[in-house]
Amino acid sequence: MRSEILYPGAFPMVRVELAAGEQIKAESGAMVGASPTIDVESKMEGGFLGALSRKLLTGEKFFFQTLRASRGPGEVLLAPTVPGEIVILELDGVNEYMVQKDGFLAGADTISIESKMQSFTRGFMGGEGFFILKIGGKGTLILNSFGAIHRIDLKPDQEYIVDNSHMVAWSATTSYHIERASSGWVASFTSGEGFVCRFRGPGVVYIQSRNPGGFGAWIRQFIPVSE
Amino acid sequence: MSSSPNALCFGYELPASGAPCLVRFDGQGLTVTFASDSAAGRSEEVPFTTLSVSVGGLDHDQLVLKWTGERGERALYLKDADLIRSFRRAAPESLHVPFERAAELARLVRRRRRMVWGVVAGVVLALSVGLWRGGDLLVALAVERIPPEWEQKLGESAYRDFLARQDIVKEGPAVSAVQEMTRRLVEQIPNNPYKFEVTVVKSDIVNAFALPGGYIVVFTGLMKKATGAEEVAGVLSHELNHVLQRHGLERIVKRLGLVAAASIVFGDQQGLAGLMKQFGVELMTLKFGREQETEADLTGLQLLYRARIDPSGMISFFERLSEKDEGRMEWLSTHPMSQGRAERLKAELAAMPKLSPVPFTFEWAAVRASLGVPLSAEP
Repeated sequence: MRSEILYPGAFPMVRVELAAGEQIKAESGAMVGASPTIDVESKMEGGFLGALSRKLLTGEKFFFQTLRASRGPGEVLLAPTVPGEIVILELDGVNEYMVQKDGFLAGADTISIESKMQSFTRGFMGGEGFFILKIGGKGTLILNSFGAIHRIDLKPDQEYIVDNSHMVAWSATTSYHIERASSGWVASFTSGEGFVCRFRGPGVVYIQSRNPGGFGAWIRQFIPVSE
Repeated sequence: MSSSPNALCFGYELPASGAPCLVRFDGQGLTVTFASDSAAGRSEEVPFTTLSVSVGGLDHDQLVLKWTGERGERALYLKDADLIRSFRRAAPESLHVPFERAAELARLVRRRRRMVWGVVAGVVLALSVGLWRGGDLLVALAVERIPPEWEQKLGESAYRDFLARQDIVKEGPAVSAVQEMTRRLVEQIPNNPYKFEVTVVKSDIVNAFALPGGYIVVFTGLMKKATGAEEVAGVLSHELNHVLQRHGLERIVKRLGLVAAASIVFGDQQGLAGLMKQFGVELMTLKFGREQETEADLTGLQLLYRARIDPSGMISFFERLSEKDEGRMEWLSTHPMSQGRAERLKAELAAMPKLSPVPFTFEWAAVRASLGVPLSAEP
């Protein structure tokens, strides 16, 4: 499989070329177009219980779609729901990424996806919910964000602070804890930041340049209230 | 041994996401062989003596080995259980203590996380069981806190609202008969906090109902169907007891939910009116539960007894109602079947000392005649 980002920027799309017999999994509804050689199937990744737990726990979709080049080679076009960038990662079999629930767009069939319970404080205040996706294995992983994706490289013990609703994915070798944005409780909230995540390297953190929750709140003020 | 990478190595010139590498332990130290493109095939040998051991990673579940080599500081992240075991076997005694300390820390983090989730799950479970089982208790507590005047206001607005749309019988034998029954019953209620008001409404519905606060409506249909004044008095007594036991309030509070109940218990009684409006609760559509009906039956019977009104009228009326009830399964209905109700009342009455009833001052036949029922007609 070979993947390429088309129209990089706010409204990108991914073209994935599949050899005959190859298949990828994608978020349900992600397919924009495909060669006639491609079959679309829905699949409960991780079996029924795995899919159910993913649906109930992370809010991710119950079914992933599997796109298989059953009748010869072909290509697939994939796009996320929200405007924002796409990033393609190559997993080497050792590195694992934690991905917040809306971040996964597609991946090679060889990568593994499981939902994982976070610690209580991270789940409660981290803004990603109690469950996130843990993605490992070997192969291509395609993530999407709301806004642009920014990559932060952290050397061992290097720290970086990220607003909790801007996180997309981070390597499992990093650790983070939640803390107040300012030293005082009042200042933490009046500054508009509330809680932030203090990441500690080594590893990579992908953040998104827009906050989906904040955008939702902003747009809500323009929606006429129906009586 | 497989040659696929089993660890990630971090360092100044290595990629931030870590360089995949193959780690092997021997008696002297470890060998790191890089697999990534930039440094493929390159090996580094590190003696045990230069290593420091700790735990790291998102969940503190990876073993971290650090050292300073020719190319600066290095950190190796191991998460493969077999690899960690082989490190433990190969490591010299000087590393055992730090290794055990790191393992203990990893276990501690895991235990603490399990404990926090256990406590959270326990609290959630306890809360839901408590709300489910303790709901009735909370409702009862809430109802107790509502003052009768407030209940009266609530009932009155619904009552006036209802009557405005009805054809009311303002005077006549029917009205004075119902008033006499009510007076005799109410006289027997000790410490009565309610000012009962009874209105006769022209309708063929064979029923009567009570609103919170003491507002009672009797339909002429009920009076036309009753063979004696005692039957109507029985239904009235039953309805009065719905009010006295505050059954209507209990239903409302239950319907509005525990939020409302809690707000009443904790003092915000005015809020309930707003909540009712919000939830669109209509007093008229409230149905009493089976336990409430049974309670109103029994206390109604006792009230009739104290007022020296023949309780057998109430029983015979239920028996006649039950003829219509046939075929209805008791457990399907929130109202116990009239036959069952009649049986229970009969048993209750049999246990009471014999009563010498005091008759009403009016002629029931005349009352019915005033409602348009011919004197000779069968009910």
